[in-house]
Amino acid sequence: MSELLRRFRFALCYFALASLCALGMASRKAPAEIGFAPRLVLNLSLPLERMVTLPLSELRGAWGDYMALVGVREENERLRGRLARAEEENHQYREAILSSERFQKLAGFRAQREIPMVPANVIHQDLSPWFQSLIIDQGAAAGIRPGMPVITDSGVVGLVSGTTPGASKVLLVVDPQSRVDAYVERTRARGTVRGTSGHDCDFEYVLRHENIEEGDLLLTSGLGTVYPKGLVVGRVASVDRKTSGLFLGAKITPAVDFTRLEEVFVILEQRQIPAEESFSAADEGLWPAAATAPKGQVADAPKAHAADVPKAPVRGLPKRAPAAPKPAAVAPKPGEPPAAPQ
Amino acid sequence: MSGLLRLLGIGVVLLLAQAVARLVLPTLAQPDLVLVYALALGLRGGGVQGLLLAFGAGFVEDVLSASPPGLFALLCGTACAATRLLDRALYLRAAAPWAAYVGVYTLANFALFGVTQRMFAPDSVLEWSELLIRAPGAALTTALCAAPLLHVFRRLLVEADRDGSWPVLATQGARSRP
Repeated sequence: MSELLRRFRFALCYFALASLCALGMASRKAPAEIGFAPRLVLNLSLPLERMVTLPLSELRGAWGDYMALVGVREENERLRGRLARAEEENHQYREAILSSERFQKLAGFRAQREIPMVPANVIHQDLSPWFQSLIIDQGAAAGIRPGMPVITDSGVVGLVSGTTPGASKVLLVVDPQSRVDAYVERTRARGTVRGTSGHDCDFEYVLRHENIEEGDLLLTSGLGTVYPKGLVVGRVASVDRKTSGLFLGAKITPAVDFTRLEEVFVILEQRQIPAEESFSAADEGLWPAAATAPKGQVADAPKAHAADVPKAPVRGLPKRAPAAPKPAAVAPKPGEPPAAPQ
Repeated sequence: MSGLLRLLGIGVVLLLAQAVARLVLPTLAQPDLVLVYALALGLRGGGVQGLLLAFGAGFVEDVLSASPPGLFALLCGTACAATRLLDRALYLRAAAPWAAYVGVYTLANFALFGVTQRMFAPDSVLEWSELLIRAPGAALTTALCAAPLLHVFRRLLVEADRDGSWPVLATQGARSRP
């Protein structure tokens, strides 16, 4: 018997370990605290990772600074022009926000309040080319819990998929496991943004008759259970209407450049919308604190309709943004005067 | 014992090298150095120790990525077992056959990856088209990296063999080999 065991030791060992792996994959749960063994590996490997990646990013930064001096005069001229346009645009947006606030007071909406956020540094990129995640240097000790949304000033980054006391793993929106319910700012066409593991995303479940064009801005609809409403997801890169079926296909370029991501913010509030109230709660822009969140953002597409998405998304991140009342009309396009309150 | 420790050390170095490659190289040209490590551990009839190291390397990759837990561990373990089976038949001691083997196995690994995902983690599958786009570049760069690494692995495996840390749990087949 022992001779038999010795002879087939390798095969037995392989099948035992392979079964453990299969069991691990099959029993994968929603985002949760990272277990003891992975936490140990993570804590041991992160200092080594930092030792290697920090000098590399410093080197890249120094090289980037040097290269930035080339053609700086032309760039300066170009940026001055852009700044002037941006200031004009900013003025228009400010006017629009003031109008919106007046209207909100009239409608008796609740006052805005601060969203608690934790800043964090990116300390590790995903090791595998097949998945898209990163690790940040803030964890459960800073109040971060699995399922919390992660953003930058550019837009949505992803959500926390696991935590240790000192670090958190963030699943990026470009990961194939990620789903974000979003709508087109210009036409309010709704759909689901799905990661492709590359540098772009697919915009799915958009009805064929919807008006979508290249360059259209996509915002989070707030109808899922993770992201608040009005965060920038990205821009439409291409639209494909050739495929048959109910839906058109579109490629999205994310607003965030994940290859150069260094600092992020974790929003310390999680939304939980009871299934039977999900549509009405989201439609009213409510954002109940605390709760759990499943992996990715689950779109509630069958219950909602594009026309029911509140029509005045506020893209300023630090403030909570209650929805404007339905007559508040459309946010102004760049270059156009803001809509006057009715 | 020092031979085994050196094998562990090179595993850590390859993991770090893969992290750097991920930052520096374009997506379509990123080598899978952890896979090379797992494949090399099956050389010289790599025993249970090699298998454990291969699974361990895959486990670390699982922890440091967003993969379903156990996916890379299973793939690395399978790679080690496959090399152990094919080592003698394909004469993988020379650089050219070794590089060719690693390239072909990397392609096969993409297929295994797709199948394993569909079997055990169907909620996070990558499209076959996506895998097909990435496979050739990854196979080429992995094969290119594997050839120079073979010399290092052979030396370390011989050292581990010599100081007695490797064949303690190795199979009889490995001992009887020249």
